[in-house]
Amino acid sequence: MSDDAELLERIRNGATDEFAELVRRHQSRVFAILHRYERDAHQVEDLAQEAFVKAWRALGQFDGRAPFAHWLSSITTRVALDHLRKEKRRQNEIGLPELGDDALDWLRRNDEKNELDAHSAAELLELAMRELSPADRVVITLQELEGRSVKEITAATGASGVAVRVRAMRARSKLKRALEKIAKEKL
Amino acid sequence: MNFRKLKRLFASARRETAPAPPADFAADVLRAIRREPPVAAPETLSVFDQLNLWFPRLALAASAVIVLCVAADYGLTAAGVPSLSDGAAQLSAQWLLTPTGL
Repeated sequence: MSDDAELLERIRNGATDEFAELVRRHQSRVFAILHRYERDAHQVEDLAQEAFVKAWRALGQFDGRAPFAHWLSSITTRVALDHLRKEKRRQNEIGLPELGDDALDWLRRNDEKNELDAHSAAELLELAMRELSPADRVVITLQELEGRSVKEITAATGASGVAVRVRAMRARSKLKRALEKIAKEKL
Repeated sequence: MNFRKLKRLFASARRETAPAPPADFAADVLRAIRREPPVAAPETLSVFDQLNLWFPRLALAASAVIVLCVAADYGLTAAGVPSLSDGAAQLSAQWLLTPTGL
């Protein structure tokens, strides 16, 4: 039995406090997933707590066929998707983040050797991703930022392989257009 | 902007590290789940409980077999095939009425 399996067995048999150990083992991964969809640290913390509470509620349904980490990642992705849908409805009320000079410079230049630092790249992508539907954003994030295969994405989202491929293609086209629009407006 | 440049943007963004969870995050989660109903341990069913669970399906299967048999008997009789009771009567008559019968 894996470490997680033994821990889960004890938790299911009443050792509630041991759930804290499960949280400590997996919290970094949950935060990393959510940070791809939400840049505000306080919101990420709230969403992470929501993901763990949902995992707690659904523990009886976890059958152990897949690793606990994968199961928890699927729950976390669904929490992110729900959050994106709520935020999409409020999008007009949320202010646009300011882009730094590095990001604007990178947009303007066509130099293949010019790489943007990770933080600025993430900020720029965040801005462009506002143009995507929540479902498209989840798919492209899983594929391009988390490096998941189509099969893994279908397992995480419940969408078919065809739907995943279509969404990814559509998302890339929309992102390209969004970045061109940002370049035009800001430069 | 082209797709290759977009790919490079993804590659850069991928390297970003997420903020670390706060030190007391696990304790906060534990406080939240203590407010939740307790997780029930999986029940172990007795043989009778398992039969009880299966009973409706077994009853349905038995009823279906009975209906099929009745329908088949009706159909065969209508087609002129001797029924089981007729066949049995014929057989017993043959046995009883032959010189070497019972």
